[in-house]
Amino acid sequence: MQFSEHWLRSMVDPPLGTEELARLLTMSGLEIETCVPVAPPFSGVVTGEVVTLAQHPNADLLKLCRVSVGAGEPLQVVCGAPNVKLGMKAPFAHVGARLPGGLEIKAAQVRGVQSGGMLCSARELGLSEDHSGLLALPGDTPLGRDIREILALDDHLLTLKLTPNRADCLSLLGVAREVSALTGALLTPPEVSAVPAVCDAVIQVRISEPQGCGRFAGRVIRNVNAAAPTPEWMRRRLERSGQRSISALVDVTNYVMLELGRPLHVYDVDKLSGGIDVRYGRRGEKVKLLNEQTVEVDETVLCITDDSGAIGLAGIMGGESTKADLATRHVFLESAFFHPGAIAGRARRYNFTSDASYRFERGVDFENNAAGIERATHLILDICGGEPGPSDDVAVLLPQRNPVRMRIGRAELVIGIPVPAAEMEAIFRRLGFTVTREPDAFVATAPSYRFDIAIEEDLIEEVARVHGFDRIPADPPVAPVQARTEPEAERSLHQLRERIAGAGYQEVINFSFVDPVWEADFAGNAEPITLLNPIASQLAVMRSTLLGGLVSVARTNLNRKCERVRAFEVGRAFMRDPAAPAGGLAVAGVQQPMRVAGIACGPASEEQWGIQARAVDFFDVKGDVESLLAPLSAGFERAAHPALHPGRSARVLLGGTPIGWLGELHPRWQKKYELPMPAVLFELETAPLTALGLPHFEEPSNFPPVIRDLAVVVDAGQPAKALLDALEAEKPRFVREIRLFDLYQGKGVPEGRKSLAFRIVMQDTDRTLTDAEADLAITKMVELLGHRFSATIRT
Amino acid sequence: MQDVEPIVARAFAEFACSADAAQLENAKARFLGKSGELTALLKSLAALAPAERKSAGALVNAAKERIEAALAARREAIASAGLEARLAEEALDVTLPGRRRGRGGIHPLIRSWQRVEAIFRSIGFDVADGPEIETDWYNFTALNNPENHPARSMQDTFYVDVSDEHGQPLLLRTHTSPMQVRYARMWVERFRDAAQVPPIKVIVPGRCYRVDSDATHSPMFHQVEGLWIDENISFADLKGVYTDFLRRFFESDDLAVRFRPSFFPFTEPSAEIDVAFQSGPLEGKWLEISGAGQVHPDVVRNFGLDAEHYIGFAFGSGIERLTMLRYGINDLRLFFDGDLRFLKQFS
Repeated sequence: MQFSEHWLRSMVDPPLGTEELARLLTMSGLEIETCVPVAPPFSGVVTGEVVTLAQHPNADLLKLCRVSVGAGEPLQVVCGAPNVKLGMKAPFAHVGARLPGGLEIKAAQVRGVQSGGMLCSARELGLSEDHSGLLALPGDTPLGRDIREILALDDHLLTLKLTPNRADCLSLLGVAREVSALTGALLTPPEVSAVPAVCDAVIQVRISEPQGCGRFAGRVIRNVNAAAPTPEWMRRRLERSGQRSISALVDVTNYVMLELGRPLHVYDVDKLSGGIDVRYGRRGEKVKLLNEQTVEVDETVLCITDDSGAIGLAGIMGGESTKADLATRHVFLESAFFHPGAIAGRARRYNFTSDASYRFERGVDFENNAAGIERATHLILDICGGEPGPSDDVAVLLPQRNPVRMRIGRAELVIGIPVPAAEMEAIFRRLGFTVTREPDAFVATAPSYRFDIAIEEDLIEEVARVHGFDRIPADPPVAPVQARTEPEAERSLHQLRERIAGAGYQEVINFSFVDPVWEADFAGNAEPITLLNPIASQLAVMRSTLLGGLVSVARTNLNRKCERVRAFEVGRAFMRDPAAPAGGLAVAGVQQPMRVAGIACGPASEEQWGIQARAVDFFDVKGDVESLLAPLSAGFERAAHPALHPGRSARVLLGGTPIGWLGELHPRWQKKYELPMPAVLFELETAPLTALGLPHFEEPSNFPPVIRDLAVVVDAGQPAKALLDALEAEKPRFVREIRLFDLYQGKGVPEGRKSLAFRIVMQDTDRTLTDAEADLAITKMVELLGHRFSATIRT
Repeated sequence: MQDVEPIVARAFAEFACSADAAQLENAKARFLGKSGELTALLKSLAALAPAERKSAGALVNAAKERIEAALAARREAIASAGLEARLAEEALDVTLPGRRRGRGGIHPLIRSWQRVEAIFRSIGFDVADGPEIETDWYNFTALNNPENHPARSMQDTFYVDVSDEHGQPLLLRTHTSPMQVRYARMWVERFRDAAQVPPIKVIVPGRCYRVDSDATHSPMFHQVEGLWIDENISFADLKGVYTDFLRRFFESDDLAVRFRPSFFPFTEPSAEIDVAFQSGPLEGKWLEISGAGQVHPDVVRNFGLDAEHYIGFAFGSGIERLTMLRYGINDLRLFFDGDLRFLKQFS
């Protein structure tokens, strides 16, 4: 909400400067977001009148005027404004005046004619961007007066960012009440007195839904001049509150809403069909609203209706069919109370909001209906004339203001310091609560404009807030010292991050929502979890794989001339799973496991002297994955994945359970996603990687190891892992390590076969192995490999 | 007997002009070998009379020792000259760059996240993590934010095409606060049979989502939630803990921190926390850093606790904001567009 400091100070005027006032409000919970002067500083500008007007003798586009500033001889000035007219009143800058931006007005010769001052446009005074002509002042403006005073320019615009619980401050009166409560300064609300009826015109009102409409005050005013101009002072206050002047009748309703926080609506009596009924809508009923939008209502939307059907959305917006316009003769004013629950969310459903709905859904004072209607009647009579009928105020169901008990000890426990009971009582009284004192407690009842006081904590908050949060000390709490550490047998995601970063990968964070095409390409997922309200079509579905984002990161960085990309991400993937149960940390119907994924693209090592450049390959990244997992040791089996090269992709297994994938990006996607070179990717679940167990101690052997190398030739298509697994499974107890250290194909090895060389380390813990034992072990291994894999010893 | 001195002199001279080990060994053979001069001389002693033999023998042995000493010295000299030559040959250009391995790094937001964790762990907080696709109940209702409440429009929520058991669409959590409820309920369940539920002290860093995308809002962002519930944890404690956290995080003891009243459905009293730096480009400017407050009794009841006996505070802070202020980063979007030139500055 935006408002003028002047207007506020007309109701409460504490001895505080503008900045101090803004700070006071901010620190009491009414955050002043911005506080800007209405006009920049300038001086020496007064009201003037053009008393003679002639053509400039030497210039076609210039005029020669004499300007009266009241006392003294009129002053001769040259003026180029297209709208200058004889008898016109406009701001006049004297010689010596300082305009915004520091321009000083000097006496000057303009095309050979003396000019002693300057008539000003709005832009020249920094009031607006309007430079189409002089700023025309009303005909009754007194002459020779400082323009800052005449236009009330020594004012500030304050923007209040109000929290939803403080609807009582959505008006000047509300803010003034708060300022008065905080400072003790006298509150002088606008005077409202009952306007006597001079005719007996009424509109019958029926409230069919007291749960929706708790109160309805109405009044007819006959024979108004709806075309009368809105007075300057009202126009100015409205404009400084961000409201455009529309017509006198609409302006009055807006004015009373801003002034008293009382939304009003004005109907054209001649357009109403019969009496008014406040009821819920009927399915299929339509209303064309004042914003020209036609909406279809149903039985959850409270409506103002007449014999013709729905004519407006109660508490939200009036309808086009009964609106008062400049030709309206007789008007009907509505000043109703609608319960917040009956209004909340309805406007949003139709994708708009209005000043009225904004207020009603947060809570509007249900005791100022009559005051609002009297105030509006008074203003309408002043501006448009007319004959008021009787004010008809019917209250059927108003919110209860229950007394709330606040224990003094409880307040101290919650706030953390004692606030003197006398101060608490004073706070409640200044805030307009009725309060009674018990030995250890207060019982307070909130005024009708407060909708946020229902429980003890609400009162404690009021005490803390008005006492001042900044007066509550920020001392470190006293609590029992208890160490809390992470279990040693687990590693955290951060440790995994450090590990993979240590292997040269840079962490990135990609959005969890992605292009549906990525899901199809990289996960083969035709039914990803879809956002109902995405911000963009390429961010429309939840990712079930992290790979798409990494490919995109590789591409953008390669496009930026980065030659070598190593990137990883730790984040969740999201999958539908109707069978997934709800749990402490789980939501039924979806799986959202944490994953770690990486991409490698470009040279195996950074380009440098002394290392032969080569492109990264599957085994570079496999090594990275293995060292990420260590001390866990994974298995890899060839399997197809939608994102990966079918011959160069592996399922990663831990203890036989699949935990992820490793492989080269499918050449089809490499082309489609415009990567200039192959990329190798991996993606693993993190949960299986975190449980490590404690290190397992084994006494080191003091006896010498026996080391033998064993090279065998097998079919080229034979996975090496099978040989290793077989050797591991069948090895004697004293074989400590079997390591594949060479792969060879080529000269000396038959076509279609390959040579694999294993290094076998044997060592016993309590004695020295004999050569015979070692030889026997190797012989058995050779037999095993020969028997099971048709392996022959390479000679 | 033949005079030994000329033999010694010749041996010295030949050793001295031996350029390498092989020449030296040849020279040695000529004097000390089986048919060497000195060996021959020694053999000739047998022909002498016993009295003469003794003194001549002493003479020859002394000469032999001198020749052997000269030989050893020359050997040493040749060996060390050889080493010198090898060392000279092996010299490197030490100014060549070292063997480079690619350097990876942690994302700046995660760097802050880790720092926040370290600070809160040091005062006894646990760290938890939870689901990002959430139910309406955990994200809103359990946090005292019922449907149609105006406070809901404070956060524009992404919904997905999967529904919960009430037919309500699931959503992307708009804050980390639902984890307050999840963590507390699990904690209370764990201590169901205990006379007293031990203090709940936890922070929850993680991803959040809101329908908001402009220069200062990202549709995905990170928050860290904090929760401390016990029998007597007050608003003053919140001020103490959070002020200390900010000063440790920014390593600035004179950081100004202010708490001003605000509104959140799930806390009361509620506060917005602002900081102001005492130096640097943002000097003296109040910057919103966090929302916080005493946990609302309705929420405490949703934890499964008696709100009369358990009170405490919660806070939620934006990790992006903390990171931007910490490192002077001026554009939120840099965090999410994967530009390695930016990200590597933090590794």
